[in-house]
Amino acid sequence: MRTRMALMYSLLWRLLLILVHVNRALFSWLHVRIQSWKGRLWERAATVLLLPISLVGFPDFQNNLNHGPDANAKPITEKRTGGCRSRCLSDGKSLKKIPVHIGLLVAEEEPSYPDIANVVVWCMAVGISYVSVYDNHGVFQKNNSRLLEEIKRQQQDLMGVDGSMHSVEFLSSGSDQHQHNVVSCRPTVRVLSPDDGKQSIVHVAQQLCRSVENKERSFKDINVSMLDLLLRESKNIPDPELVVKFGPVNSTLGFLPWHIRLTEFISLPSHRNVSYEDLLGALQRYGACQQRLGHCHLLLMKKLPSHRL
Amino acid sequence: MVKSISGCKCNAISSKNGTLMWERDAFPFVKAKTCTDMSWIKEGELSLLEKISANILKAGPMPKHVAFIMDGNRRFARKKNMERQEGHMQGFNKLAETLRWCKHLNIPEVTVYAFSIENFKRTKDEVDGLMELAKQKFERLLEEHENLEKHGVCVRVLGDLNMLPLDLQQLIAKAVFTTRNHNKCFVNVCFAYTSRYEITNAVREMAWGVEQGLIKGSDVSEALLSECLYSNNSPNPDLLIRTSGEVRLSDFLLWQTSHSCLVFQSVLWPEYSFWNLCEAILQYQLNHKSIQKARDLHREHQALQQLEADRACVVELLQHHGNGKPVDSQRRQEALLHYTACREERVRDFLEALKHKRDSFFSDLCSESLLA
Repeated sequence: MRTRMALMYSLLWRLLLILVHVNRALFSWLHVRIQSWKGRLWERAATVLLLPISLVGFPDFQNNLNHGPDANAKPITEKRTGGCRSRCLSDGKSLKKIPVHIGLLVAEEEPSYPDIANVVVWCMAVGISYVSVYDNHGVFQKNNSRLLEEIKRQQQDLMGVDGSMHSVEFLSSGSDQHQHNVVSCRPTVRVLSPDDGKQSIVHVAQQLCRSVENKERSFKDINVSMLDLLLRESKNIPDPELVVKFGPVNSTLGFLPWHIRLTEFISLPSHRNVSYEDLLGALQRYGACQQRLGHCHLLLMKKLPSHRL
Repeated sequence: MVKSISGCKCNAISSKNGTLMWERDAFPFVKAKTCTDMSWIKEGELSLLEKISANILKAGPMPKHVAFIMDGNRRFARKKNMERQEGHMQGFNKLAETLRWCKHLNIPEVTVYAFSIENFKRTKDEVDGLMELAKQKFERLLEEHENLEKHGVCVRVLGDLNMLPLDLQQLIAKAVFTTRNHNKCFVNVCFAYTSRYEITNAVREMAWGVEQGLIKGSDVSEALLSECLYSNNSPNPDLLIRTSGEVRLSDFLLWQTSHSCLVFQSVLWPEYSFWNLCEAILQYQLNHKSIQKARDLHREHQALQQLEADRACVVELLQHHGNGKPVDSQRRQEALLHYTACREERVRDFLEALKHKRDSFFSDLCSESLLA
């Protein structure tokens, strides 16, 4: 009797899991369909109404409505250069708050370089100063030259000829990290792996313990701000205010444990074929989170549970 | 004491009847009156529907350790137009209820974020209120200690007790001391805690070990740091739940949750329900495979790093002693094995000393309070 019950429960559990999976798939399919439908609708609308007018008229609307950005969304394939850049800039300005440092956490198998390069370029175009790319296999860090190539190429494609204005400072935690001094206001891209997380804390701990071993300081002198300073490694990069996580796994997977103290996590289903609107939506949610609008804020959360990490 | 007995009686009735739903509906007023001073342990069975759902969930992989950020007490109080303190009280009661659910779901360990070091920055009024609440609850815990023994509940407090008023410190020490040998379920209360402070404290402990000559600077590793955290007696949480719609960790278990399933829920903590918990567990089950994979990868990586570190130390030693003469691979292998064994012994002794230091901190506090 008991084994039969156990069998039934495990069958029911499997059924439940399948239902949840189907529900998820359906939801994301609908999401894509609605987006493309909306995109087409606005394409038509934009040709009827003059686009510049809608650009001026919409910013306020955008902040309140999550799908506001679709309002002035021109499909990117249609016009890739200059227009796109100015659009990114105006979007950046219309956001109530943009992070200074954003983390892109790829929690998926087989990372796609062009897609993630796209996101990096959009982040920089919107006006984010520091972009950290992470995956828990360290694939991006191992092939960081390939990623850099891809980013440069996408930049040319998306931003037009004057991509030089947004040239990239590329930091990787290899041996050359101390050669870089971030003094310019150029956007900085960092490629991180698990070694930059717990392992970097361990390195700092070793460093401090050695100095105690050599009688340079006492264990009593060690405090939080000392560790924080050492973990910044003289590059004055602020902690990421926002991490956008791509993929179905709800975990940080070892992303900079020390630095994510106050980081907001926002989840997107995948970095594959991710669109500019998806990223903008995440940035808008981040702005909304910061505002703490009481009920309004809670409503927004309720509407978007499946996207949150 | 009288209060606690009456509270127990009320609970006992409900568990004897077996039909909690009926009982709850029939005497809501009685229950509310007799149980105002809520205890740590709530007895009673799940309703039929809850039981069936629990059994279905239990057919899948279950988390062994769940961490909660119990956010939303103040917002709840504002929403219901009650005193802030009342909101915190309701929050604590919800914790007792959640522990009951966890017991029925076979989750043996729960960690909660009760009071952050940052919370000392709140108004004096609120901080005093929270300290008073904590005092009440730990007093209550001591009163109930027979019941805790019956259920095998071990209570631990993670954080820097030195930041708290002395009487609260002594109460906490007594509570931890009396329940330390219980081993059926574990409740870790993070009090005067932030994760950065915890990590820093672990580094400080290791530096203490170095200063005492127990370990060497090169013995410092990820595994050793984990052992020096306040949470060294617990496995890492499998699931972290934050309520009230905030999507950040707020300096909670940053080190321990690097491979945990994170679930952010919009419900306010005092309104948290059994179904919310089930939803979070389902999320964990959906993520279980991929997180397990990531954990295994990390463990392999960690072992490799330890081996490399040992190798580097051996090479340095051999160069130092062998005056630069080349060493054959067999001797190098032997030296490596020897070095690893020595390091492990050093680390063991150090951890023993650290444990002793921490235990005596608690027992000293206890005996101090007896003298007073």
